Amino acid sequence: MQPHKSHPTLFIEKDSWLHRSHPFNKLCYILVIGVSVYVLPEKWLTDIVLLLINLGVLLTAGIFKPSLNFLWKTMLPLALFMIPIHGTLYPENHMVLISLPWFNIYHEGLLFALNTLLQLSIVLIASLIFVFTTHPADLISTISQTAGSPTLAYLIGSPLLLLPAMRERIVAIQSAQRSRGLDTQGNFLKRCYGLLPLLIPLILGSLIEIEQRTVALELRGFKSANPKTSVRKVPDSKFQKRVRQLMLTLTICIIGYRVLG
Amino acid sequence: MSFTESIKKDFTTTVMVLMAVAIVINIAAGQLVSILKLPIFLDSIGTVLVGIMAGPWAGGLTGLLTNLIWGMISSPVAAAFSPVAMAIGITAGLCAKYGLFRTWWLAILSGVIITFFNAVVAVPIKLYLFGGITGSGADFITSYMLAVGKGLFGSVVISVFTSNLIDKVVTAVLSWGIVKALPERTAARLPRVNGISLKN
Repeated sequence: MQPHKSHPTLFIEKDSWLHRSHPFNKLCYILVIGVSVYVLPEKWLTDIVLLLINLGVLLTAGIFKPSLNFLWKTMLPLALFMIPIHGTLYPENHMVLISLPWFNIYHEGLLFALNTLLQLSIVLIASLIFVFTTHPADLISTISQTAGSPTLAYLIGSPLLLLPAMRERIVAIQSAQRSRGLDTQGNFLKRCYGLLPLLIPLILGSLIEIEQRTVALELRGFKSANPKTSVRKVPDSKFQKRVRQLMLTLTICIIGYRVLG
Repeated sequence: MSFTESIKKDFTTTVMVLMAVAIVINIAAGQLVSILKLPIFLDSIGTVLVGIMAGPWAGGLTGLLTNLIWGMISSPVAAAFSPVAMAIGITAGLCAKYGLFRTWWLAILSGVIITFFNAVVAVPIKLYLFGGITGSGADFITSYMLAVGKGLFGSVVISVFTSNLIDKVVTAVLSWGIVKALPERTAARLPRVNGISLKN
């Protein structure tokens, strides 16, 4: 299930209600979910409910499989570390669950590890909802127009565009240095020495290019205050705006409830 | 000059391009160094460079955006640590402002200070979001500390500090060296650099 066009971000090309949603709505969603997970009481109940909501959203948007794939790949290493470490070494461990020859596995540590993993999964899914369904160009357009900050849009867009060029440059520098006898495979000391000849040309070269890029930007009137037309239009309906406001209000209410209650 | 005016003065087009390039340097250097399998990351070298050359706010924003963009291209987990990267940038900028990047041994001191503030911001995030474990080599230090009886908080503090110290000191000294090696023409467009480029 490979996307036929590779994007710099994790974006998956599809058409669903999520893909058509405004990027800011998805960002607000991450905010609401994040705040709910960490602020609301009734840990296990809220976590399960939020997890089910998230999974439901994933299913209706057709990104269920890639999301679960990504979730599994990210959470598995974490779980492999957390469950043994917290299960055996968590400071508030009292109740022994399993007794093994050299160490015990405790109830509290396991619960703590599982709860942490669950909370992380929920927030991760909310982030994936944003990253998988938002085309980077849409995000940049909205920041530039709706949020009115072309500088910020440039700061996000330019790196995304520069990265493939930087990767090619790294390969070129590596080949050039290797042809001069640089050893990147040897022992520790050799690898330390190998670091600078790779890094310095990369960084200095990029920094020297800055002047050229600055002039190019200024020539194109980047800093001018006049409104600019954009090729890419991101639809934003009244309904979406209402949903955004609702989510933001919900976030404030949740925080307020915790602070006051 | 008022506070907002001084921030605006710092954000020229050159600084903006510098930040974009630095974000890419952060990501590229981080990936490059991980191939070499050394005990450092160097994924904040761009942030520190911007902090030195364009001030604390530019440095902080560079760090913040680096992790957010990293979250979009590779894994949203990196985005959780964006406040840490922001702290690195702000600290580097402040160190440079107070002349702590003038010589290589002062740069080492800056590296230690950056490690300290890195830990100040990273420990709460690591503790409350990840329960102290993030699946990296530092977890071995954490579990050793837990096993000898230090609480969760103390263990995470020690492991974050020790795993970042070498990296941040190397980053600081490298940044000092790079700024010194910049050609005059590039340095001229960045007014803050001149405080450090004064050779001898």
